[in-house]
Amino acid sequence: MNWSMNEILQLSLMFLVPVISSLPIAIAWIYRPGEEWARKLPYLSVFGLFISLLISLNILFNVEDGFYSYPWIPSLNINFVFVVDYLSRYMGVLTALIAFLIGVYGLEYMKDDYRLGWYWFFFNTFTASMLLVVYSDNLLTLLIGWEGLGLASWGLIGHWFRDDDEITFVGEKGRKVGPLELSWSPSFGGWRAISTIRFGDMPMFFAIATIFALVGTLDIHSIPWHELFERIGFFGSVFLLFLFLMGPFTKSAQLPFSEWLMTAMTGPTTVSALLHSATMVAAGTYLFMRLSWYIQPWNAETPALAVVYSVVLFLGLISAFYGAIVALGLRERKVLLAASTMSSLGLMFASSAASFWIGQIAIIVAFWYLMVHAFAKASLFLVAGHLIHATHDRFCSGDRVFSRKMKAAFAVTIVATLFLSGIPPFTAYWVKSAMDGVMEHLAEEGVILPFYLLVLVSVIYSAFLAKFLSLNFMRGEKPKHEHVENANLMKLAYSIMVSMLFILLYAVSHEHHFVEEGHLVTSFAVGVLVTVSYLIALYKPSVKAFSRVGVFLTDRMYLPFLNDFIIPKIGWFIAAVVDYANRGIDYFFHQAIPSFFDWISRLIRAVQKGYLPSYLRIVAAWIMIFIVAIAIAGWYGWP
Amino acid sequence: MALMALELGLTNSLLLISIIILTLGAAFSIKDRRIGFIASIIAIVVSVASLTAETYFYGVFVAAIGLLNIFCLYISQNQIKGIDYALVALMVLATVWVILSNNFAVILATFVLVSVPTYVLVLTGEKDLKLEVGIKYITFMVFATVLFLIGSLLLVFSSQVFSAQASPILYIIGYVFLILGLSLEVGVAPLHEWVPDVFAAADAIPISIVASLAKIVPFIVAFKILIATSTPLTESITLFTAFLAVVSMFVGNIGALTSREHGRVLGYSTVANMGYVLATLVAIVRLEFVYLAIAGALLQLFANSAGKIGFFTAIKKEGMGSPFTYALALSFIGMPPLMGFWSKLFITLSLVNSGYLWLAVLLVLNSAISVPYYLRLARELGKGRGTGIVNLIGLLVTLLVIVTLYPPDWFLQGVKGVVVMFGISGISGIS
Repeated sequence: MNWSMNEILQLSLMFLVPVISSLPIAIAWIYRPGEEWARKLPYLSVFGLFISLLISLNILFNVEDGFYSYPWIPSLNINFVFVVDYLSRYMGVLTALIAFLIGVYGLEYMKDDYRLGWYWFFFNTFTASMLLVVYSDNLLTLLIGWEGLGLASWGLIGHWFRDDDEITFVGEKGRKVGPLELSWSPSFGGWRAISTIRFGDMPMFFAIATIFALVGTLDIHSIPWHELFERIGFFGSVFLLFLFLMGPFTKSAQLPFSEWLMTAMTGPTTVSALLHSATMVAAGTYLFMRLSWYIQPWNAETPALAVVYSVVLFLGLISAFYGAIVALGLRERKVLLAASTMSSLGLMFASSAASFWIGQIAIIVAFWYLMVHAFAKASLFLVAGHLIHATHDRFCSGDRVFSRKMKAAFAVTIVATLFLSGIPPFTAYWVKSAMDGVMEHLAEEGVILPFYLLVLVSVIYSAFLAKFLSLNFMRGEKPKHEHVENANLMKLAYSIMVSMLFILLYAVSHEHHFVEEGHLVTSFAVGVLVTVSYLIALYKPSVKAFSRVGVFLTDRMYLPFLNDFIIPKIGWFIAAVVDYANRGIDYFFHQAIPSFFDWISRLIRAVQKGYLPSYLRIVAAWIMIFIVAIAIAGWYGWP
Repeated sequence: MALMALELGLTNSLLLISIIILTLGAAFSIKDRRIGFIASIIAIVVSVASLTAETYFYGVFVAAIGLLNIFCLYISQNQIKGIDYALVALMVLATVWVILSNNFAVILATFVLVSVPTYVLVLTGEKDLKLEVGIKYITFMVFATVLFLIGSLLLVFSSQVFSAQASPILYIIGYVFLILGLSLEVGVAPLHEWVPDVFAAADAIPISIVASLAKIVPFIVAFKILIATSTPLTESITLFTAFLAVVSMFVGNIGALTSREHGRVLGYSTVANMGYVLATLVAIVRLEFVYLAIAGALLQLFANSAGKIGFFTAIKKEGMGSPFTYALALSFIGMPPLMGFWSKLFITLSLVNSGYLWLAVLLVLNSAISVPYYLRLARELGKGRGTGIVNLIGLLVTLLVIVTLYPPDWFLQGVKGVVVMFGISGISGIS
């Protein structure tokens, strides 16, 4: 344990500066909303993000691996403990860099907004919370950051709380399926996000409390995981881990908790890019990776872990498959990208879960995929935001004429889709190859299905990315409106963002494992398949004959019915039960007890007839009864 | 020893002097009833001067209650004007005397001394004699006195002549007779039938004396005799007392809930309060905690007296200032820092210490049951902010129950000193 003040100071500055730098605009907007000078204050907020970025870079290059601790509640063995290791080093920079770039983009994207104080406060609070999650080794500080993510997510999704602009909605307005209207407003989206996430956070909170009660520490690296599992047995371990993983599952939008992520697209595009693709939703997978990193399931033959990791593996793959085919059917720009994000998160879970059989390398592969995905998807979201601004349309539209006016966006989309889909020799190809390798290893262990599911997902994934490119820039309809403006800051931001993929390509080429895997025949064959599907989709982005299937997929296979119909019914049922119970309690205390006492009281007073002789008889009788009773008691052996 | 003898001698002579004063006062009140009034007050003050340090607070409370009774009589009319003051003063003397004396004959005499004056008082009224009420009351009192005296004699006899182990039957029967006599005398259920009728039909002022001053002596006599004659047998027979106490609490409190007449409500309230006080007799099984029980019992009797005097005066004068009625109601309910809270606290503590946790729980439960009717009384009898003579009495009784604003450890310590001398000379027991 390292007690170095220098690192602690840096870390706390990194967490605090973004929040503090967003306070001026937040306060200014309360008292002077919309004034010209107030609209300059966001530059200060972005400067705060920049400071965090510098500190995270310093940690990347200059701080040694280790745990940095500062006393908090020493009597309970709860301290601020921060970790610098392989995962947090890169994840920290990734978070800070993407937040900063999107912050720059947001300066232009949000400049005419009506609620800047709210936006920047939650945007920067989000960044601070995410950094806290990334660097926390102590589960309590991690939980604080984790709840900060949920809160910021609610605030930002519902940012346009007036629900007065159709462009901010998700789904076609007025489209009814059965009793439901498949259209969601920002305020509804915010509520749905926080309620789904809280549904997972509660069990996670209890799991953390249980861990603390059982082992007396909350530092992930010092919890004796295997002793703990031995102590609570098979069912206890499975139960505890699933309670804990409810947090990551809901936050990372795995089935069946995916709907909130789709309606989260009602928030500003910057929010979708930062929270709902690159970082916050990845926090669930990141936490799973961090846990696995220290649990080291590959070192133990614990049956409970086998069960849990198998479930996570398949849940991840199935979510990935679901997300991919739903994305294939969708035509809403941001929702398509959201579904694809869910798909990628599923792959990250699956690959990390494979670490039980393969070892630490599976987590490293998942983590690299997380990084590639973050930059590529953030770029695509920023482009989508620009497109929505330029066309005033949430749905894909754009032809070659339009793409000439949007050259930067077009180029960035090409790079991002090529680098993300796994086409050789671009970045994701090498990482995906390693992932193919992981799943192939599983097949050698006798679990064949994951490999084929992964190939299938990869092919579909590549297809919808190409579809996104094609429908927006090449073979889509001509946009109804065109307001192509000189959005230099936005272009700059997503250009830098996408160029990070080249740096990652350079980094990947120095990782022997990825290079070796990329040169295997299987990997190359998968790469060819992916390329073919990409080209086909590029040429034929929509097929009329499949339009009915498309509608089924656009409606997300009617999963909204679970969230908007079945669960509310359960909720109303519980409300009815509670109502009856309430009435029962009311009746018991306000009717039953008083009338019972009333009855007894009248019974007691019934004796009072006013006749002395009858009173005398009663009293004499009682006295006789008592004396006889005492006599009998004495007869049967008084002590 | 010599000093103590001298002190006792002084006490006795002071009591004797006050008896002479009140007798002369009563005789001369035929000329002017104010002579009886003043003589009675002087007699009470002289009797208070006879008190020792430990019994000082007790005596002041008793005197205060007696003076309040006299004052209430002074502002109302009856057929024996002048004599009535002397009767109350006589009861005060008996009540003071009983705490000081260890003489068996004197103790029994005080029991009769507080009982008999009430026979006369309960008959009196504003216009006519309350004959029916009087007959009901006197019949049961005679019955009660006989049972009580027989019980006392049997108890003393059993511990004097035989040892109690040798003759358990005699002890048990004596105990049961004494408790039954006591119950009938003060109005413990299920021997309470006379209470609601008499309380509702009698004149409010005389009955307030029956409900207040007359209740104290029987319990002290019972404590003294039971402590003096206590044997290992007491522990098993005590359950009988606990049973009567519980029945009385429930019958009193629940009966009061639906009673409409205020006098009747107060009658049931008395039944409940006598249940609380009777419960303290179980504490004799652990003599080291009996001082808590006696302190609780006495405070409960004082709080009950103050409340009854206040409420009956309010009935008589058709209303009293609502601050006073609410203060009295809250004291009855047991709201800190009023006297009713401390008395119930001490009683509860003594019950818990004697191993009667269930009885303590039931007592607290009963306090909750009593809330509605006390608040109803306070609301219906309390009118306005209050002025006039009736509110002077309201103010005085409120002062009496609010005196425990200063936590009554002082009273507890005094009782602790007195209890050491509790007992009857010549009889084994605590001394």
